[in-house]
Amino acid sequence: MSHSPTGTQEVKDRAQYGLCAGLALLGGLLLFDASRIGHATTTNDVVGPRAVPIVLGVALILVAAVYARDIARGGHGEAEEGEDVDLRHPADWKTLGMLAAAFLLNAVLIDPLGWVISGTILFWGSAFALGNRHHIRGLAIAIALSLATFYAFAIGLGVNLPAGILKGIL
Amino acid sequence: MDNLNHLLQGFGDVLTPMNLLIALTGVVVGTAVGVLPGIGPAMTVALLLPITYGLEPTTALILFAGIFYGGMYGGSTTSILLNTPGESASVVTAIEGNKMAKGGRAAQALATAAIGSFIAGTIGTVLIVLVMPQIVKFAVTLGAPEYFAIILVAFVGVSAVLGASRIRGLASLLIGLSIGVVGIDFVTGQQRLTFGIPQLADGIDVVVVAVGLFAVGEGLWVAAHLRRKAGEVIPVGQPWMGRQDWKRSWPAWLRGTAFGFPFGAIPAGGAEIPTFLSYMTEKKLSKHPEEFGKGAIEGVAGPEAANNASAAGTLVPMLALGLPTNATAAIMLAALQGYGIEPGPLLLTNEPKLVWALIASLFIGNTLLLVLNLPLAPTWAKLLRIPRPYLYAGILFFAAMGAYAVNGSPFDLYLLLGLGVLGFVIRRFGLPVLPLIVGVILEPLAEKKGRQSLQLSGGDLSGLLGGPVAWIAYAIVVAVLIWPLLAKLRGTSGGDDDHHHAGTKSEVAA
Amino acid sequence: MTVLVGYVPNSFGEAALSAAVAEAARRQERLLVVNMSRDDVLADAHRAADDQLARVRRDLGELGVEAEVRRVEEGSDAAEALLEVATEVDASVLVIGLRHRTPVGKLLLGSNAQRLLLEASCPVLAVKPV
Repeated sequence: MSHSPTGTQEVKDRAQYGLCAGLALLGGLLLFDASRIGHATTTNDVVGPRAVPIVLGVALILVAAVYARDIARGGHGEAEEGEDVDLRHPADWKTLGMLAAAFLLNAVLIDPLGWVISGTILFWGSAFALGNRHHIRGLAIAIALSLATFYAFAIGLGVNLPAGILKGIL
Repeated sequence: MDNLNHLLQGFGDVLTPMNLLIALTGVVVGTAVGVLPGIGPAMTVALLLPITYGLEPTTALILFAGIFYGGMYGGSTTSILLNTPGESASVVTAIEGNKMAKGGRAAQALATAAIGSFIAGTIGTVLIVLVMPQIVKFAVTLGAPEYFAIILVAFVGVSAVLGASRIRGLASLLIGLSIGVVGIDFVTGQQRLTFGIPQLADGIDVVVVAVGLFAVGEGLWVAAHLRRKAGEVIPVGQPWMGRQDWKRSWPAWLRGTAFGFPFGAIPAGGAEIPTFLSYMTEKKLSKHPEEFGKGAIEGVAGPEAANNASAAGTLVPMLALGLPTNATAAIMLAALQGYGIEPGPLLLTNEPKLVWALIASLFIGNTLLLVLNLPLAPTWAKLLRIPRPYLYAGILFFAAMGAYAVNGSPFDLYLLLGLGVLGFVIRRFGLPVLPLIVGVILEPLAEKKGRQSLQLSGGDLSGLLGGPVAWIAYAIVVAVLIWPLLAKLRGTSGGDDDHHHAGTKSEVAA
Repeated sequence: MTVLVGYVPNSFGEAALSAAVAEAARRQERLLVVNMSRDDVLADAHRAADDQLARVRRDLGELGVEAEVRRVEEGSDAAEALLEVATEVDASVLVIGLRHRTPVGKLLLGSNAQRLLLEASCPVLAVKPV
């Protein structure tokens, strides 16, 4: 179990209020969307499509309130431990940002450039973000992996992976 | 017996050279992926699902069965050799297994885990054969209200029973339910929570949710808190057991199976409880209790068998009722639906060949697992030498590949990232993940049955009451909800204020 | 001045260790045994377990050699770690075990030995097992 010094403990607790706000927001979103739907009940379906979103929306707001009260009383959830996880330091936003960037690049580039290129960027970028310093080796593995999965899955099994600008070459 | 005939025919369908090769591939790939830390059987199946898209249903199911059991075996290999359980149910195996490995008995620990898994898997599959048709007969009598009530039991079970903080469990469940609502309402065709985004009209795929929450979420979480830790030595050795080990193992195997199967079959049962129960029981019954904590072979044999039996057990409600009770079952269900196969009580009547082929391939996958993986265990251990950056980059790579392949749309990748962020948030704040995924999986079914019940009664709430099965289920729900209040009134310590352990590793991977 | 040996728990490491002991005796210098364990992998085949290191200490003690046995646990590059230690203790010679690699192997997987040979500022003694 991780024991953070009391200073960060207080910060941790306050961050939970953010989560409560998020829950309440989600509840509000559900209610807003439900109101947009409009009444659509029939004799066949007396409940209609609005019922569940409304129930969920209300429940979420209630839960957010009770949760906030629990936090105020000192409750907190333990952040998840793990073999590779060291909770003594605050989150490494830089690494996280790089990882998200690699992921987004793949999402943006996968259709125009094809899986082989975007997958390579994803793998190499993620490995780089996570601390890999053997750049050439990482690139080689990334390319090999992208090509292998493309040939094996897209061509071999007909899985939906785009060829992008390399269409015709592969 | 009629069932036996069907089963034999199932074997006939499955035992072709091509299909055996597929089964072999499934087992190998499933084990390899399952060995990787942080990846449990559910994740293994989810990540490898895209491979099956181009295949015939029977072939795909055979691949699944191999991946399913392979993933479980891979997970226990890692827990024994490295004390890094990839999923919650392996936590218990790691306690004794890792101690055995450190004491130079890795070979015996691996052997007892493999053989125990095989025996439990085989017995479990036999039980499926025997039990399922009876359950189906019973299930056909269930009306919508009964279904609804049973699902409510599942909801309450995951959020209020497991985990110490009920409010967090409830929050998690509600988030999951909200995700489940996204899409077109099946009755009226109304778009809900889609905000005008056309790709959301079909709802959010369970596989995308699972991969996003588990794989991407885990990746992001690890990235934010990466611990640089010196690599351990893995004890290498071909699994084998001496006579004493056999003597001590086999009763544990049988007891573990007995614990595991029923818990796997009930909604919100899962594998954590039976593995703990098995461990406790073995400790009590053992002639060598002092060895527990230092490497007692029964402490590996029992829980491993319980784990596998529970996995077999989850297939019963999945096939008979169309009710997935954990993430792995949900993903397999999603895969079946991808082929246009509607699981439920009618599955056995509509697609008997498919079901019996699946069951036959479970037997075969299980056997191949044992035959293949006993000699290969040292090889799997070598996989753990892959540097972490490549490991997690690989996980994200396959996650992205799979998510894109579902619909061929980059939108799913954005969705995946969003869900990954959600996965990060729940790990950060210690919310249990199981209620979330159960909420996503069961929301459509729950809502459907709930509305059908009210439809039958013309809107009268008494329509939800249905028959005796529903009453029992509701009684359970009420009991679970009221229990802590009663405990409080009686003066014992209950409720949320005391400890908040939600979010420990045991609640994450399924 | 110190004789530095890069130790791994296999025949190459043992060969290097024997050679290093002989070299330390010849130069009348102290011996520093370093085992590097990577921190970016879950399982490192080159990591010497505690009991292995204890055995090395014991053996060296029986031989009457003045030696220190260290395990470096930070970093992901064994060559770099060894070079750092070499600079730190001002090693007079670095002893390593040498393994034959095919040209392709060297291309794909790099070679610690090659880097050490090229980058060490002190003489390097590369040993093959008998």
